[in-house]
Order: sequence, then structure tokens, then C-alpha cells
Amino acid sequence: MNRFGVEGTLRAWDRFDVILVVTALALVGYGLVLIYSGSLGSYDGPVASIDNPVVRQGLFAFIAIGVMFLISRLDYHVLLHYAWWLYGAAILLLLVLIPIGQTEFGSTRWFALGPIQFQPSEFAKIATVLLLARFLSEQGGDARDLRVLGGSIAITAPVLLLVFVQPDLGTSIIFAAIWLGMVVVAGIQRRHLLVFAAIFLALLPFLWTFTVADYQIERISVLLDAEEDPLDAGYNPIQSQIAVGSGQLFGKGLTNGEQTQLDFLKVKTKDFIFSVLGEELGFVGAMALFALFILLLMRGIRAAQIAGDIPGQLVAAGVVIMILMQAFINIAVNLSIFPVTGLPLPFVSQGGSSLVTLFIGIGIVQSIVMRHRAYRQF
Amino acid sequence: MSLVGDRRVSPGFSRNRPHGNVAVLRVAVVVLFLVLGARLVQMQLVDGAEYAERSELNRIIVESVSPTRGVIFDRKGQPLVQNSGSFAAVVTPSFLPENPADRYRLYLYLEDLLGVPALQIEEAVNAAEARGQRDLPLAIARALERDVALMLEQVAADLPGVALSIEPRRVYPGGPEFSHILGYVGAQSPDEWRVNQEDGYAFNEVVGKVGVEARYESELRGTPGRAVTEVDAQGDLITTIESSDPEGGRSLLLSIDSDLQRYVYELLSTTMGEATTAAAVVMSPVTGEIYAIVSVPTYDNNIFSLPDPGEEYQRLLDDPRIPLLHQALSPVAPGSTFKIITAAAALQEGNVTPSTRREINSSVLEFIGEDGQPYYFYDWRVHGDIDLVGAISWSSNIYFYMASCGIPQEGIAGLGANTEQSAVVLGYYARSFGLGQVTGLDIASTESPGVIPSPEWKRRVRSGSLFNPEDRDWYLADTCFMGIGQGDVTATPLQIAVATAAIANGGSLLQPYVARQILSPDGAVVSTTQPSPEPVPVDEQHLAVIREGMRQSVIDGAARLAALPGVTVAGKTGTAEFIDPEDGVTKERAWFTGFAPYDNPQVVVTVFYDLGVGGVKAAPVAADIIGYFLEYVEP
Repeated sequence: MNRFGVEGTLRAWDRFDVILVVTALALVGYGLVLIYSGSLGSYDGPVASIDNPVVRQGLFAFIAIGVMFLISRLDYHVLLHYAWWLYGAAILLLLVLIPIGQTEFGSTRWFALGPIQFQPSEFAKIATVLLLARFLSEQGGDARDLRVLGGSIAITAPVLLLVFVQPDLGTSIIFAAIWLGMVVVAGIQRRHLLVFAAIFLALLPFLWTFTVADYQIERISVLLDAEEDPLDAGYNPIQSQIAVGSGQLFGKGLTNGEQTQLDFLKVKTKDFIFSVLGEELGFVGAMALFALFILLLMRGIRAAQIAGDIPGQLVAAGVVIMILMQAFINIAVNLSIFPVTGLPLPFVSQGGSSLVTLFIGIGIVQSIVMRHRAYRQF
Repeated sequence: MSLVGDRRVSPGFSRNRPHGNVAVLRVAVVVLFLVLGARLVQMQLVDGAEYAERSELNRIIVESVSPTRGVIFDRKGQPLVQNSGSFAAVVTPSFLPENPADRYRLYLYLEDLLGVPALQIEEAVNAAEARGQRDLPLAIARALERDVALMLEQVAADLPGVALSIEPRRVYPGGPEFSHILGYVGAQSPDEWRVNQEDGYAFNEVVGKVGVEARYESELRGTPGRAVTEVDAQGDLITTIESSDPEGGRSLLLSIDSDLQRYVYELLSTTMGEATTAAAVVMSPVTGEIYAIVSVPTYDNNIFSLPDPGEEYQRLLDDPRIPLLHQALSPVAPGSTFKIITAAAALQEGNVTPSTRREINSSVLEFIGEDGQPYYFYDWRVHGDIDLVGAISWSSNIYFYMASCGIPQEGIAGLGANTEQSAVVLGYYARSFGLGQVTGLDIASTESPGVIPSPEWKRRVRSGSLFNPEDRDWYLADTCFMGIGQGDVTATPLQIAVATAAIANGGSLLQPYVARQILSPDGAVVSTTQPSPEPVPVDEQHLAVIREGMRQSVIDGAARLAALPGVTVAGKTGTAEFIDPEDGVTKERAWFTGFAPYDNPQVVVTVFYDLGVGGVKAAPVAADIIGYFLEYVEP
């Protein structure tokens, strides 16, 4: 399978981006600390138990790292070669989910595989990034052509819609962002971009009326005035605002946040884990998290920059956008500048599917970095 | 930067690689995190103090509204428990003054009003805060006098964090004779609450601690309502945001006849004589329902709802008779009542038939033991030439020694091929009649399984440095004594009643129960307990022989004093010997177990006194109970 021979492989490992992996692991470690604090009120079983959310997340991290190493050994062109198949499988899984998936909080996003939950939309993100990269690069890596642009929309729209009907507004926004980011990197013309923006704005009232569920509207309107409905839709925004705000500069200390420990905050090891951080570790803790994210994303962008070929560059860019937008939206929700959408904070929130997907992304980026010289065309 | 170098090395391809657009990503990262950072600066640094205050005063309080607990009725619908209210003084720690000096002044004021030491209040409040329960009302004084309560209500308006609350209270009007059945409710310990929390229990909610109150907690409790309120920093209500009504608990209709229960209790109490404890079980041999189950001495379960049961409770704990222990569920040597089981085993195994006669011309049986020494086994009288019915009727020890362990040197076969096997066989039958295991009576109490010994059991419990190796061996005497319900055999009065019922009803081992029906709050029947008989492995024809022996015993045998005019009573006495550990003197326990009427058994009665002779002390009392039952109780 390896077309470089042994020597090539060894040299490839020299180029492995250690900083990228260490940063990702630092984020996971940060997450473990916050999950520990956030689960104190709900978990009081033995420390060394698979039911302990911290242990569980740690195990998933091990699995995820293993997967990352496997993927980084693999030439990313193999993945690109199978991109249509992976994409097809993702669509299929999302379709199958409609009748048999697990419904939680009114939304059907999961498969239950024994004790493990599997979220197909996570897998679909990677598949979509790979296919968009392949498609755009086959068209010369150039999104200036309107036909190419149309094709890329045709690839993104089905997954976006399937996720949207789950309903998972947050993840469909991530798909839109992945598309937008990748066509921008592929060089979309400014006037096309403006036309798309205009069309989107023109359609917004219709989308609002016909496709956005009531609860989504409610969440958006409470964003404007959270006090309007302090117990239901407004509850989480108010409590997370109070949590984060009351953390002030240095926080109340780990495990000392009233909002966190007295259960005012909900889903505090998942969607609202940033509020735990904000309350208990304060502005300083948040800035440390931002620094880790920025470092991680910059290493990802570096990979896009030094990538040996166009598909590599586009894939790396896609992964960066995926992580960036998920982190941004999740934190924005915690800070009440975005409506509540159930998105996890990448690497930090509790959740195996998300963690494994993210490390698959990191593995692909590593594969691109390790082979950038091999594919450089002289 | 390598970027520049790259471009130079491969100009042809790089033209197609839109590096400029990758830089857009960098800009996006920086801009988006700047947006988040700016918002954080605003929330945490600019408005942080304000949010900190709001977090401090986060006062959307979700309270659970206790449902009305279900009522417990006797079989005739007489209430055995009433719900009433009692006044309590509560403080909510988070609403108390922040300043420690102000706080303490408030405690001192409460000490004046309620008589609870300020230090004690302070300790309770600190403990609640340490548990993280700053927002939960904490009762500092319960069962307040009416005028104290009114006074507190007056002043509470000016005392931040102090309030008067009305707590539900259980009153047991039936008297102490029902305490062992009903049990009582009480506050949860922090450990209990950790478990109960899962079921939505509030910390200050009471739970059933023992008895039916505990066993049927989930039925009696009901579903709490929910009140979500927004309050200001003083704890005063601003608005009620949401509320749902509690749903009352289900009621229980017991099979207990309260008049019979009271009658039996009084009868036992007045016939104690030298005895210190006594127990009686009156049950149905048809369904297994319990009509009365009495333990003497008892205790008053109302003391557990007193503001401070300490002194009274301590007295109960110090009483050597252990009033909190249910005597009918505590095992002791069953003595000769066990012979009905030995008889069943011997008949079924075939080593004794109804016509097996023994010539017993001495009250002493001499055995040559395994060590060649003679051993002597005593009987209480010289029985002469008797058959099995006679042996049951006159309670012959020697006959049952022969039936259980046999006399190897005289060629009389025991239950098994050898001593150990005989014991195992007898143990099997004893267990089939419900001995050696808890009956599972639906009174959450410390029911004990008792002991049915076996060679394996003896090896196990006699191990350790306290015993000699030979203490672990199983001897002929072990099997012989087992056959007459002595030695290591123990059984509870309830187990003996259940075994008697199985003989009376022709071989069905019944699950005893006290809760007949569960009723919804409006009185509709939710469920009715169904009898659950298990067949015992003894043929009906053999059981008939034992019933005949028990009838003969009352007509003209050891249980003559259990006879009643107009009804045929069948019964078996028991006088179990034991050596009092206090003074080393051999004493006797009095047993009687029987049923009536002989032809169509309607009731099983088992009576036990810790001191006395079965035929003299227990039998006449059992007769009185049977008489009362047949006259006054509707089966």
C-alpha cells in the first residue's frame, strides 16, 4: 500500500506534527478536569468505574488517539479515493437514523450500539470534507466556476438537510460553514459570495417561517431577552450567563462554582462545559482554553499551507473550519450570543463519537503533513 | 517562512494553490476568538460583580410539596394510623443574616422563644450549609405547642430566614400492640437520603423506617407535587412560576383483625408469669394471611414522632427484653413442635409407618456412642407401647429419637443410611416446611431465618480457634436432638405457624402476609394479594396421620389444655430446654402450635413464651385465641 517504501515512511514520521497532537491532548485533559467537576453532583460511584464520566472520556481519548495514529499512517489519498463511498455511507446512516435512531431531548441524532452511542452526523462531517476536497480539486481546485460551485452545493445540501431535520440546527450550520470555508479557500469569486449572501438574506424570512422549528425560534427569541421565560427556553442561557459572569477574573475555584455544583447549570459536562470553566476557572481559565484552541487551529492552517497538493490543502482547511466553527458556536451559546444548539465543545465536552471524529480529523491532517514533500510536484 | 521557499521551488503548481485564501482562515480564527474574548471581558470583567451577586441570589427555588401519606386499615376497615399536622420552626440558611453576629442574635432570640439552645441551632445550620443545602428549609424545633407556634408566626415576618411550617405527622391510635406491625416513619439519615434522592425524595421528607410503613413505603408515599417559585433575597415569595398538586399515597388494607390483635396482646401480657417475652401468630391455613401477630413486650411507635424521642428511645434500647425486636420473627429452639416435621419426614421416607410401634418402658434411652461410652437420652415420662399417633399425641422424645437417628445397635433405622445422612434428610424436610429461611412476611423487620443444622453447617460454624477439632464432628446425638427440635435447631414462631398451616391444609406451604389489599386514595382496590402456595414434598396421607396425632394430643395427650367445647382443636405442644447463660440453670420454653376446626382448618395459632411448659402455659392460651377467633373473626 505504501508507495514510498520504508525510507519514505520513516521520514514521514519525522514530519509528524507533535505540537498539534499535544495541543489536542491538552484540550482533552482540560476537558477531563471540567467533566470531573461537572459530574460531581450526578456521579458518586467508584472512581475506577466505566460509569465514571471521567474514566469513560479518558478511555475514549485512548481509543481516539489510536485511531488517529492509524489514520495518519494511511495516505490521505486512499480516503479521497473512497470519498464518494464514505459520503454515500454517511447519507445512508443519516437516512436509516430517521426510523430507528435514539431520541433524546426531542431530537434524533444517535444510534445505540450496545453501551456506546454513535452519532452519524459526526462521521458525515469528515466524509463531506473529504468529498468536497476531492470534487473541488478535480475541478482544478478552483471554485471560480459557477458550475463547480453548484456541484459543491449539491454535495453539501443533502447532508445538511438530513441533519437539519433531526433536528440539529447546530450541526447543519457546521456543514454550511465547512462548505463556505472550503469554497473560499478554493477561491470563490467575491461577486459570487455576495450573490450567495444576498440569496441567503432574501430566503431568511421563509426559512424562519417554514423550516425552523418552534423551539428554535423560542431559543432565538430568548437570546434577545432571556428573562422572558426564566424556566424553560430561557433557563439555560440565564444560568450559563450567571455562571460565566460570576466567575470573574480568576473563577471560584475548581468544584466551587455554585451554579455548577448546585445544579443550576444543565448538561454541564457536554454543551455547557464552557460555563463550568467560566464559573470555576474564570477569565484566566477561558483565555488558557482560547490559547490552546488558537494554537491547535493555527497548526491545522499550517498543514493546509504546506500541503503537498490541492486536495490535501482543502481537506486540512475543512478540518480546521469544522473545529473552529464548532468551538465558536459552542462557546457563543455559553456566552448567550448564539441561540442554544446542542453542539459539544471540540475535544473538551464529554462524548465519544465527537472525540473519535475529531481525532480522525487530526489523523488526516497528520497524514497530509507527513506526506507534503512526497506530493510536492517539482 | 517556508511558504516563500515552497513557492520558489515549485512555481508551476503553486500558482494553482490559492495560498492567499488559506490566510483567510487565520483571520477567521483570530476574529472569531476576539469576538468571544470581547464578550468574556464584558461578562466576566466588566459585569462580573453583578453576575456574582446574581449567582449569590439565584433564587428560583424548586420545592417538592409532600403528598398525603396513605392510611393503613385493619381487615374491618378500622384506621390504624392517622395523618395529622404538627408545627415546626424552620430556618432556611441562605436567607439568614450574612453577618455572624446578627445571625447569632437571631439564634439567641429563637432560643428564648423555642427553648432550643442557640449553639444547637448554629450547629444544625452549619451542617446543612456544609451539605450544600443552603436553600432547603431546616427544621430546628418540631411538635411546637400551639401558642408557641402562633407567636413564632407573628415574629417570623421580622426574622429573615425563619418560618413556621406545618409538618405532616403520623399518629398511631391503635396502641403499642400494633407497633411491631405498623412500624413508624422518621427522618432520613444523610446516607438514606443519598439513595432516596434518586426517587425524588426531599431531604426533610419522612420515610417509613420499619414495619409496614417501611415495607410499603413506595405505595404509601404518593407522588410529591412541585412548586417552582421565585423569591427575593429575604426568601419572600415574588411569584409562583409553576406548581403541580401532589398525589396522595395509596392505602393498605391489612389482614390483621385489630380486635383480635388487641385480645391476643392482652391475653399474652396477663399470662406471662415468669416469662419475660412472648409471641403469638394467628394465621389462615387457607390463604396465608395473618390475623394477628403479637410480640410482648412492645413499644409505643408514637414516640418516634415526638420532638425528642431520645429518653424514651434510650429506655427501649436499655431494656434487656429488647422490646424493639419482634419476638414472632426471632428464632429459638422449637422443641417438640418440631416433631410434626420429624414425623412427616419419617413417614415420607418410610422408616416409620403409622403402625410402627415402640415399646418404651423407661424414660431413659441408653446408647453406646461412637466412643464406646454409654450415653443417656431422657424422655419426660414412660410412654409404654405406642405408635406414631400416640408418640405425637404424648410427645415422646424416645420415639422421635428412634424415628430420626435410629438405634444402629438395635437395628432401628433412622431417616438415612447413617447419622450424618439422617440429619441431612431431616434438614431437607425442615426446609421444605419453611424452616431455616425467612418467610418473607411483608413487615420490614429483622426477620431471622433460624438454623437447621447439618454436618456441613457444624463444620463451618464451629471452626476457628474457639473450638476444638472434635466440636466440628457430627454425632449421633446431634441427629437425635435435631429430631425433637433441640440441639442447634431454631425456628421463629411465625415459621412454626407456617409449617403447621402446611400440615393443616394438606401440604401447601403458604407465603404469610399482612397486607391484603392496596387501595387508591379514593378507596378503589389497586391490587389484592393472592395466596402463593408451594407444595411440600410429603404425601397427604402422611399429613393426615400427623393431623390425627395432633387431634389426639388435644383430646387425650400432652395438649389437653387446648381443648375447647364444641370444636375439635388439633395441636402440638413444645417444651424446649435450654441452659440459661446467666445462671447456668436448665430452663424451659413454652410452645404450642395448632389449628381448628380439625375437619376444616380455618385458623392456625402458634403461641410462645420464653419461660414455661408448653402444655401448661401455651396450650390454654391458644385455646382462648381459637375460641375468640371462631366467635368474632370473619375469615
